[in-house]
Amino acid sequence: MRTRTTDTYETSRREVMKNLALGALVAGSSGAALTGTLASSARAAEPAPIKMAFIQFQPHTVSSAWAKGIQDVLSIQPKFGFQLLDGQAKADIQISLMDTVINDGVNVIFVQPVDSVGIGPSIKKAARKGIPVITLNIDSTAKHAAHIEMNHYFGAMEIANAMGTMIGGKGKVAILNAPPGIIIRDQRTNGFVDGMKKYHPDVQIVADQVADWDRKKAQDVLSTILTAHPDLGGVYGVNDSMALGAMDVAKSKGIKLVIFGNDGEKDALEAIEAGDLAGTQYTDVFQQGRFAAAVATVLATGGVQASAFAEQGHLLMPYVIATKETVGTIQTYQRW
Amino acid sequence: MKSVARIPNKELAIFFIVTVAIFCSLSPSFRTGENFENILVGFSHMGVLAVGQAFPILLGGIDLSVGSIVALAGMVGFDGFLIFGLPGAIVIPVMLATSVVAGIFNGVLITGARLQPFVATLATMAVYRGVTYAISGRQLFPELATRSIDDDLLLGLDNYVGHFPYAFFLLLIVAGLSQLLLAATRFGRDVYAVGGNREAARLAGIPIGRTTAICYAISGFCAGLAALILVSRMTTSQENLGIGIELSAIAAAIVGGASLQGGTGNAIGPVIGAFLLGVILIGLNLVGITTYAQPVLTGLILLGAVYYDRVLLGRRRLRLGKSQ
Amino acid sequence: MTGEILLRGTGLTKKYGGAFALADADLTIRAGEVRALVGANGAGKSTLIKILTGAVRPDAGEIEIRGNRIEPGSPARMIEAGVACIYQHANLVPAMTVLDNIFLGRQPTHALGLVNAREQRAQAERLLGGYEIDLPLDTVVGDLPTVKQKEVEIAKALSLDAKVLLMDEPTAWLSLHEVKNLFRTIESLKERRVAILYISHVLDEIYEVAQDVTILRDGRVVAACPVGHIDRPELLRRLVGEKLAREVATHSAGDVNESRRGEACLVCEGLTRAGVFHEVSFALHAGEILCITGLVGSKRTELVRAIFGADRLDSGRMMLNGRAFAPKNPRDAIERGVAFVPEDRHHDGLMLQMSVEDNLVMAMLASVSRHGVLQRRKKAAHTMQQISRLGIKPASPRYRVGKLSGGNQQKVLIGKWLQRGTRVLILDEPTVGIDVGAKSEIYSILKSLKQEGAAILIVSSDIEEVMAIADRVMVMRAGKVHGIYDTVRLTEPELISYIGGE
Repeated sequence: MRTRTTDTYETSRREVMKNLALGALVAGSSGAALTGTLASSARAAEPAPIKMAFIQFQPHTVSSAWAKGIQDVLSIQPKFGFQLLDGQAKADIQISLMDTVINDGVNVIFVQPVDSVGIGPSIKKAARKGIPVITLNIDSTAKHAAHIEMNHYFGAMEIANAMGTMIGGKGKVAILNAPPGIIIRDQRTNGFVDGMKKYHPDVQIVADQVADWDRKKAQDVLSTILTAHPDLGGVYGVNDSMALGAMDVAKSKGIKLVIFGNDGEKDALEAIEAGDLAGTQYTDVFQQGRFAAAVATVLATGGVQASAFAEQGHLLMPYVIATKETVGTIQTYQRW
Repeated sequence: MKSVARIPNKELAIFFIVTVAIFCSLSPSFRTGENFENILVGFSHMGVLAVGQAFPILLGGIDLSVGSIVALAGMVGFDGFLIFGLPGAIVIPVMLATSVVAGIFNGVLITGARLQPFVATLATMAVYRGVTYAISGRQLFPELATRSIDDDLLLGLDNYVGHFPYAFFLLLIVAGLSQLLLAATRFGRDVYAVGGNREAARLAGIPIGRTTAICYAISGFCAGLAALILVSRMTTSQENLGIGIELSAIAAAIVGGASLQGGTGNAIGPVIGAFLLGVILIGLNLVGITTYAQPVLTGLILLGAVYYDRVLLGRRRLRLGKSQ
Repeated sequence: MTGEILLRGTGLTKKYGGAFALADADLTIRAGEVRALVGANGAGKSTLIKILTGAVRPDAGEIEIRGNRIEPGSPARMIEAGVACIYQHANLVPAMTVLDNIFLGRQPTHALGLVNAREQRAQAERLLGGYEIDLPLDTVVGDLPTVKQKEVEIAKALSLDAKVLLMDEPTAWLSLHEVKNLFRTIESLKERRVAILYISHVLDEIYEVAQDVTILRDGRVVAACPVGHIDRPELLRRLVGEKLAREVATHSAGDVNESRRGEACLVCEGLTRAGVFHEVSFALHAGEILCITGLVGSKRTELVRAIFGADRLDSGRMMLNGRAFAPKNPRDAIERGVAFVPEDRHHDGLMLQMSVEDNLVMAMLASVSRHGVLQRRKKAAHTMQQISRLGIKPASPRYRVGKLSGGNQQKVLIGKWLQRGTRVLILDEPTVGIDVGAKSEIYSILKSLKQEGAAILIVSSDIEEVMAIADRVMVMRAGKVHGIYDTVRLTEPELISYIGGE
């Protein structure tokens, strides 16, 4: 998850500059942190009437794309202020940041929780203050205004279907998984396992190991799995970075593996076009950010109280299982 | 009576008040009761860690393993509550006992195996983190990772009296008792003697090994308390809990007047030091400076504190040095 | 008048490595008695004191206090038995108050374990009142002037209600007035039947305050008798030893005649550092060895440090090879070709964890490097040359200096400063703590350097050494030059009497 291409880095940097030029209250994403910082503190003098904050898991291509999507919507109207914060992949830091933005009087909080349980008390605290919280991709065990996700469960089922078909309906496959404690991990894993059972009961899932969202770690983990199961037919990386790590191993060992990722980031799509990766679940993450911003705008300006939602809003993003055949339909501007 | 001149950490307290005043004037959000509540709830555990850290530092040592002890105690709690379903009355004492044992082990390595405190605790920092992963209920039973702990006793800790969180009162008790221990007991005097001039302490018949072991045990115990505070706030625990927190605690203790050369400091300064770090970090956030700049500023504060430490202590050493 | 025996040590022995620091030493101290303990540097006094305080466990021997055998090696046990020590080096905690320092490790406590501050203060006031010592109890010791720090040490020892009190050069940093006070205190302690072991280099003090004297030399007790039975010259002779003195003196006389004493190389006029040394003038010639000798405290080391630029001079001037010489720091002195080998090679001179080669080239990295990069070949060549010239054993450049014997360490230290262009070599106690064989090797190195035309200035307390290697000797007393003598025309008893100062 920590691999970030220079490309996205540059994009987010340019984005920050643009937004600053436009006068939007934007603290930059990782690269432009300090520049963003100084500029935004200068901006703080003229308070934006409606403040929104996004507390990331940690800087990453996905969250940068969300932030961009959110800003696409918010920057149209100057009355919205937006602040991007870094959770440093630490639950206690995120909690502190939640407290800070709640006290700062923001109107909406976007958050991608580091820990689905750990963020819970902070979400409840925001709810008591009447501040809607919108979670992105990683849900919390505490009820909140809305959760917008990539539709992990059904997407993973379809990945299982596609992978099973490609390996001929039987054989061995492995999962490169995320560390426990995050709901999407369970959703994607369960979707994949259930999908295999449903569509290809003869395919055996022989390994399910944690590779920390990380490309490098995935290489090591898969190498170990391959020693135990040299006849492995397919690998499901619970995110694209881990799938790309699996692809590196397959390439270097010169073996044929059907590898699927999940998320649909630009690198993965290119790898699919090159034929190195079998497929991924693609979601338009910019669009996801715009959805989130749209929901936030309604909540913040429509006089709708968070408590008015009897049930938590749950938005599932449309998705495409991108394979060599379908990847062409994803337009360049949609790639992140 | 003979007092004002002898108030410890006078300069630090003034610096703290001035800093608070500056942020209050810069940010309307800062000068709210709720913000002070946030600072108290967000940094009480840091205060506890800093007080604990003051003991090894007073000896002229250091305890780098506290962050890992926090994670270890937290994971013991996670397992106890979620895997074994035990009540807080059992789990909480076990968490604290674990942290004390970890602290004593540090002390034994330093006095028994004669390792330098930096080396010994650097090693146990890795060891305790490794043990945390090994016993992690999150890895053994992934489904527990998305369940919150709902023990009444534990969650009761995450409560308030007015604007004051229970954790803050816990901190006051820890700091108060520690200060009493340091200032008014023979053990406390022994700590200053060992840290101030080890050879003189040895010749005075002070049990250096025992004093050292107790200091590291106290540091471990405080890490256990900090874990308790964090777990009660998060209602769960993680393997990577408290990574890097030891440096903040050391920084807070040093800012609070504990000298890395040993022998100078008290248990009140580190509390102010911890909240000073908190005020600066939250204040910068509210004034609009992002978290990216915070590590830089933490480093700068630490540098300033160490410089002060060196100047202050350099003078004292010189004076005694002349007579030799 | 003789009281009961309070402390009796028999057959006390301590070896460090192969060398005896203390060999089969006996010592008795009686109640109400002051026994002086004297000996040259390295004679074993500190080892004996450390054994008596429990800081060091002897390899053999027994200690009895008031007839009870005490298992040695534990400071706590010795304190409990009533042995207290006023250390030569300050053993105070600088950051703690006077009150806390006096009661270090044994504050009176309440039932709850809390320190009874009121009782502590009352005890301290009683104690200080009883001995008429005036100390600010709440002041932090590090903020006190050094003389007051010494008084804290004395109060600390007195507060133990000690039966046996060891005083290791207690007057070293006291003014005359304070010395008188201390002697009054000692008198009142004697009246209270306390036994005192009084260690001092100042002979006047010994004759004034002590009834008995024990003399240590090379780790052995060479005399133990009432002070009245031994006069000063005899005491000094016992102190420094006289074996070989005559032969060595004649031997060196021959050398002196052979050596061609060159021109005055380093000329010092009226060197003064306020409160330390005054109006020191002498000339050091190329191709000669000039020894500076005197009792401890005669400020010889301070003088050579100032010449080397390590300490400031208040007045006086120096000429080096006919040009004015006023080094602001050691670097200046080194650039002018002056080298200094300090006394404490472990602290000041050598990097014990590093190799022989690293140590040898440390002071001359510039000449073995080009554009800041070390030239391996040059470095190795220089190292091998120094090793063979100085006879360093084992002759391995990679050997760790800490593992060498004391004599070889000393050779490395000398080698470190011996560069091309060294005109003046200053050595401070070059042979302390090394064995006889290594001593003679170092003497021959120094003599060959002399023959090559170097001007050598040696600070030494060892009379035999001075007689053996010096062409001329300068005797210092209390920071002043007592006289400069040709060793050819000097006998050892004469020299001893000049040093002791009757």
